[in-house]
Amino acid sequence: MRRENRGQIRVIEAFLAVLIIFSAFTVSANLTVSQNRPPRIDLASVGTEALMTLDSDGTLGYYIANGNWTALREALSLVLPIGTTFNLTVYDEYTQRISEAAVSNGGFNSQDICFVEYVCASRNPVFSSYIVHLELAVAS
Amino acid sequence: MPEASVDTFFACALMVLLVLSAMASTSKLLYPYANYAVDRNVSERYEEISKYMLLNAGEPSFWGESNQTITAFGLAKTGSDIPYDLDIDKVSRLNDRNLCAIRYAQLFAALSMSDVSFRVEIASIFEVNISLAATYVESGQTIYRFEVLAERHGLSVAADLKTYVIAEDHVEAGNLHASDGKASVNVTLPDTVQGPALLVVLAKSVYNPAVVSFKAYAFAHNSTSPEPSGAFLKLGPLNHTLTASFTQSNLTLLNAYAFTFDHSSTLMQTTNSNQSASYGIPRFVDSSPIILVVTGSNSSAFFAEHTAYPQVPLQIGASFASSEAHSNVFTYTHSVTIDSVAYECVVWLGGPRE
Repeated sequence: MRRENRGQIRVIEAFLAVLIIFSAFTVSANLTVSQNRPPRIDLASVGTEALMTLDSDGTLGYYIANGNWTALREALSLVLPIGTTFNLTVYDEYTQRISEAAVSNGGFNSQDICFVEYVCASRNPVFSSYIVHLELAVAS
Repeated sequence: MPEASVDTFFACALMVLLVLSAMASTSKLLYPYANYAVDRNVSERYEEISKYMLLNAGEPSFWGESNQTITAFGLAKTGSDIPYDLDIDKVSRLNDRNLCAIRYAQLFAALSMSDVSFRVEIASIFEVNISLAATYVESGQTIYRFEVLAERHGLSVAADLKTYVIAEDHVEAGNLHASDGKASVNVTLPDTVQGPALLVVLAKSVYNPAVVSFKAYAFAHNSTSPEPSGAFLKLGPLNHTLTASFTQSNLTLLNAYAFTFDHSSTLMQTTNSNQSASYGIPRFVDSSPIILVVTGSNSSAFFAEHTAYPQVPLQIGASFASSEAHSNVFTYTHSVTIDSVAYECVVWLGGPRE
């Protein structure tokens, strides 16, 4: 290459470098902005509200008092959001476990498991109180 | 071009590419963690706002009962000891079909948070779908067979069903059980009855009596196809009074009914004018939404208009469909009760990204 043309290739190199840098910035900027964030669910609030809804008309205490764990599982499934898995355990006032069968709608396949403790009373003439432990996770 | 220049160019270009690729990858990997603290603060703030909307009664305390101007937004029932127990009239005023419907601009001003847009959706926990499966024409009567499906996001819900059929001077009730969420309903209407007719289905969950859903289905019988809802009357239930506002002239009202899962009643007319009529709505003791039906006729045809009390499903507020990329948008789902019936309330909250 002739000595007087050397500057031209430097200019071309500079333009190409600028083009590459801007392309990279454009791509990286899009990579960060367009990320889809998963919906956030406060499982503790969701679980507490679900148990309160069941307890508002005495359904929760009624099913526990009668040992109707199948009905309790179905009732809880109905008020929890779709895609939520749960495992429920019930203890009496002496912390003795009274729910022998697993009150659950499936296994947990998430590492984010939330725990809710709720105390309820049956509406029978003989007073009974129960401690409800509810574990919740979002199915992945 | 000398070899040295070509080598230098490719080397520099490769180096720049590698550096920028590393920057992009690092940025992508660290983005969630870098924004976690900010997003978490925003999320917690929005969650508290959504709870505030549902746990606070607003100002005036009984703003739902009449066409009052709202100064502070809150949907909770005044004086209720139950958390997330919403006021039936405040919820009904959120529906744009209510005669005293409140606009989003008024709610936005009443929330007093200029950087927060919101959307509220309230609906039954499960849906009831009705479809006409077959029609059998016999001498002097017609039998209609409907398929009723109770489901939640495609999953069937075991439910007890209560059906009501309303046509001109004809009201009939029936009971069914749908253990797998499906049931067939046979409706027999004599040819002497003038249509269109209305089939109302109330479905109560077998496992949770507080979870009740409903659906109304209008169908032709000895008549032309039914007009869309609201073609003759605009119904606005508020403060246990049903106001029927005429949308056409020369209408004659015949009867008004209130239906719940366990009870039904004919409504007494309290006021009447050329443009509207009012009826008192009884306070039923059972856990059920109240389906209100007003029948009448114009110069040529019979009609049956209906609405629910509370007026759900409803949705009010901003649309966030196209703004998620540039805004912080969060949704919160709450289980709420309205007059002892459980509903699902979804609150969308959004604001400028920090």
